Amino acid sequence: MNGTTAHRELTSACNRHPTLRTSSIWSTAISIADADQLRHLLAQCSLGDRRAFETLYRSVGPRLHGVALRFMGRPDLAEEVLQESFVRIWNNASRYEPHLSAPLTWMINITRNQAIDQLRKHRDRPLSDLEEQSLVDETPSAHEQLNSAREASALNRCLDSLEGMQRQSITIAYFQGMSGAELAEHLAAPLGSVKSWIRRGMERLRRCLES
Amino acid sequence: MNYQTPSLRRALAADYAIGLMPLAARRRFEQLLLEDPALRLELAQWQESLASLTAALPEQPVPDRVWQGITARIEPQVLHVPEKRPFWNWLRITAAICSLVIAVTLGVLYNRDTARYSATLLTADSQPALKVEAHEDYLKVEPLTLAAIEPGQSLELWAIPPDGKPISLGVIPAGGKGKVELSETQKALIGKPIALAVSLEPKGGSPTGQPTGPVLYQGALAAL
Repeated sequence: MNGTTAHRELTSACNRHPTLRTSSIWSTAISIADADQLRHLLAQCSLGDRRAFETLYRSVGPRLHGVALRFMGRPDLAEEVLQESFVRIWNNASRYEPHLSAPLTWMINITRNQAIDQLRKHRDRPLSDLEEQSLVDETPSAHEQLNSAREASALNRCLDSLEGMQRQSITIAYFQGMSGAELAEHLAAPLGSVKSWIRRGMERLRRCLES
Repeated sequence: MNYQTPSLRRALAADYAIGLMPLAARRRFEQLLLEDPALRLELAQWQESLASLTAALPEQPVPDRVWQGITARIEPQVLHVPEKRPFWNWLRITAAICSLVIAVTLGVLYNRDTARYSATLLTADSQPALKVEAHEDYLKVEPLTLAAIEPGQSLELWAIPPDGKPISLGVIPAGGKGKVELSETQKALIGKPIALAVSLEPKGGSPTGQPTGPVLYQGALAAL
């Protein structure tokens, strides 16, 4: 575990630091400024304002599309997920609770849930060889994703405090929407261990983020 | 399953947030969420913790067809007729469209039953609680997040004109969904600049003709 951490820090120190530092500060500034506007647009949507909905779509569409594509891996499936997510955002705008979550988090979770449902449906049939490969290929990119995300947030420090398998199972579950059983198979580990890695990892993550 | 233990609720919310539940369990959990604000809070905290995992994902331009797909889904009245069909199928579709046109025309001519005004009533802390649509002869009410009330109580809907003296529009059906019929004098109010409010009253409505209980929700009625 120590080896992995050291390797990661090395990579990030060499390649990622200078560019990502600036871009993450920049994107944080944008997202803070936008949160109020997004909240307002969602409130308008809940009153049936189609123009507000279109403005909302134009401003967060590319962001949610990025999330959908990350999950689905195929442009056609990602577009389906994106379309369905916006239909849900429109229909459920009145259910958004501003005191519970940031507007973008709420919308990203709608997209994630939609993507997870679709991935589950696709996994119910046997995979072709090509898809099998792409699934295997996805593991390193999940880690790459994690590496760049770590640069951008307080999650960085907290994920580092997790044990290797805790960190790995949380990231794979998060980005591939695997059920406990699927994850156990993917990691070639007993279901009980996978569940306890995730449960302990999540609790530790949360305590760390709250501290 | 017992969802009342705090540690189990917390663990289930974590499983859902990370995406670990099988499909059937997800659906069951989503049902629980609808009626359990504390569980929604628990979940939101997990989701906020995990949100930054997606922060570094690049934005992707969205092709125009996605927006067209969305508008087609939220405006279901647009008919999509497939191009090639056997003759008898065409006949069926034509007959269906004709009867639809006739029904719609008759509906428009005789009922004019489209919603003309609408209001979303909010709680004191600005949460949407009840949706009201004003039609020609009645109000259509639909619950968004209504508070549970005792069996011996009713929610009563009031019109509040600018001069401020509330006029009862009637009692909201139990459960919050349904129609409230309007009398001629009540109909005359709709379309004027009024606010709507809902108060908690004894079963069957206020005995005095004026609100006696606390006002739970309010909002302005606006033209569509």
